[in-house]
Amino acid sequence: MASNQDLRYVDTKPAPRVSKGTLTKMIWRSTMLQASFNYERMQSAGWLWAMLPGLEEVHTNKQDLATSMTHNMDFINTHPFAVTFVMGIVLSMEQLKSDVQTIRSVRISVAAPLGGIGDALFWYTLVPITAGLTANMAIGGSIMGPVLYFIILFGCEMALRYGLMYASYNLGMKAVSMMTEYAQEFTHAASVLGVFVVGALIANYGGGTKLGITIANGEAPIVIQNYLDMILPCLLPLLLTLLMYFLIKKKGWTPVKCIGLILVLGIVGAMFGIWTGGYTPLIPVPWTVS
Amino acid sequence: MNIIEIVLLAIVTFIFAIDQFSLTEIAYRPIVACPIIGLILGDVQTGLVIGGTYELMMIGNMPVGGAQPPNAVLGSVVAMIFAVKAKMDINAALGACMIFATFGQYVVTLTFTVMSGLMAKADKAAEEGNPAGITQVNVISCLILGSLFAVIAVIAYVGGIALSPALESLSKNASWFMGGLSAAGGMMRFVGFAILLKIMLANDMWGYLLAGFVCALVIGNIGTISAATLLLVAFIGVAIALNDFRVNGMKKKIEEGGFSDGI
Repeated sequence: MASNQDLRYVDTKPAPRVSKGTLTKMIWRSTMLQASFNYERMQSAGWLWAMLPGLEEVHTNKQDLATSMTHNMDFINTHPFAVTFVMGIVLSMEQLKSDVQTIRSVRISVAAPLGGIGDALFWYTLVPITAGLTANMAIGGSIMGPVLYFIILFGCEMALRYGLMYASYNLGMKAVSMMTEYAQEFTHAASVLGVFVVGALIANYGGGTKLGITIANGEAPIVIQNYLDMILPCLLPLLLTLLMYFLIKKKGWTPVKCIGLILVLGIVGAMFGIWTGGYTPLIPVPWTVS
Repeated sequence: MNIIEIVLLAIVTFIFAIDQFSLTEIAYRPIVACPIIGLILGDVQTGLVIGGTYELMMIGNMPVGGAQPPNAVLGSVVAMIFAVKAKMDINAALGACMIFATFGQYVVTLTFTVMSGLMAKADKAAEEGNPAGITQVNVISCLILGSLFAVIAVIAYVGGIALSPALESLSKNASWFMGGLSAAGGMMRFVGFAILLKIMLANDMWGYLLAGFVCALVIGNIGTISAATLLLVAFIGVAIALNDFRVNGMKKKIEEGGFSDGI
């Protein structure tokens, strides 16, 4: 992770606009955003793979490409169909050789809120409506049900990917070139936003990490998590994030080592029925798991 | 028992397993997948009926926010096998497939955990500026996910409904392990956050981190607006960032002497 520290590109001369062919390639590659989805970085490896045609065209300097690839492996989670919006903005910043710190902050700040909008539009609105229209056709035995379903949804998905890519790439080019005079101040402001959004992510994505210990007590069972919530809601997610930050930043732990620690915490915890989740602990314990 | 059917079934299951997170993200949905499986098993009509019914069941059970509902791909494949091969009626098949769908969910949890470990390989490839290494990581992940799904589909085809009791007891005995894996899976994102913070979090920014945390907590607990939490929080964040930009921009101007006129 040494190159994490490189905050500037060696070659700071803005690259020419990437070709239409490259943008198209990135749009199609964006369909594999979640190819190696995982709990640690979520979509990052798929994101980087989708960005690569653009990054390779923009960063002709080998060291800059490595720097860019490294920070594009940061945690990211956004809506898979709306991702091209983030890609276009990040690509324009990469192309204009913005400060790496700024790119990182803008990347996560744009990606995170998009997830919610995308879900609301697609999974909660378009899919149920389309399913309502076509499912009964299928049940009635018509092959047109599935065909229509696929065409409507896939068509909307690809139109969204195309439209957002071009819109955000052009927007990013305009916005980023305006920022050059105040680059340093912009970097600071972007980091403020980035840190603010990560703080929100801890509460928003971390809510699943809870204790499941419930001690039988007649009418009023004692739920340990409720006491923790009285101290601070989402206390465990916050503490665990700070612990990981401490281990990585101060103790020089690698992410893999952190993952290992968490795996042990999770599995050993479940042996004793500490975490929530409705399973049966391996070891008989005097409490139930909620 | 028909070898061609088994091979084709394994292939489409492999593809649907990847499709549920990548590719079209539409083709794996029961309404599309079931008729295709029906085509392989020789009964498209049943595929249409099961697909439509399952699709309606799934409204309100969407794969959002990282939650893993019983897996729709294995649900579809196994419901079709039971309905066409074991001649079960449609509702019985949909009920009996659920234990397999639960295993699909386990496989997904397992793959997402294993792939966290492989991020180190991707980091290394990135550091070396090696695009082929990134491709490799993505291919490995797709292979793991697709193959595990294909294997379970074949097991369901060969073993049929007779397997259910064994699966039920396995699922019960392994429940602590799967519970532990999903608890760990839920916590692994904190490592991803920590890596982000390692670079972004300057000493003057701790307050912003906590403020973002609080905003998400407050908004996330108001039922009517909680679905839009991150967007709403981002709006507040933009206002704070604009203010930060303005203050620091003014400071720069003052330092350059640009503001001294008239004061």
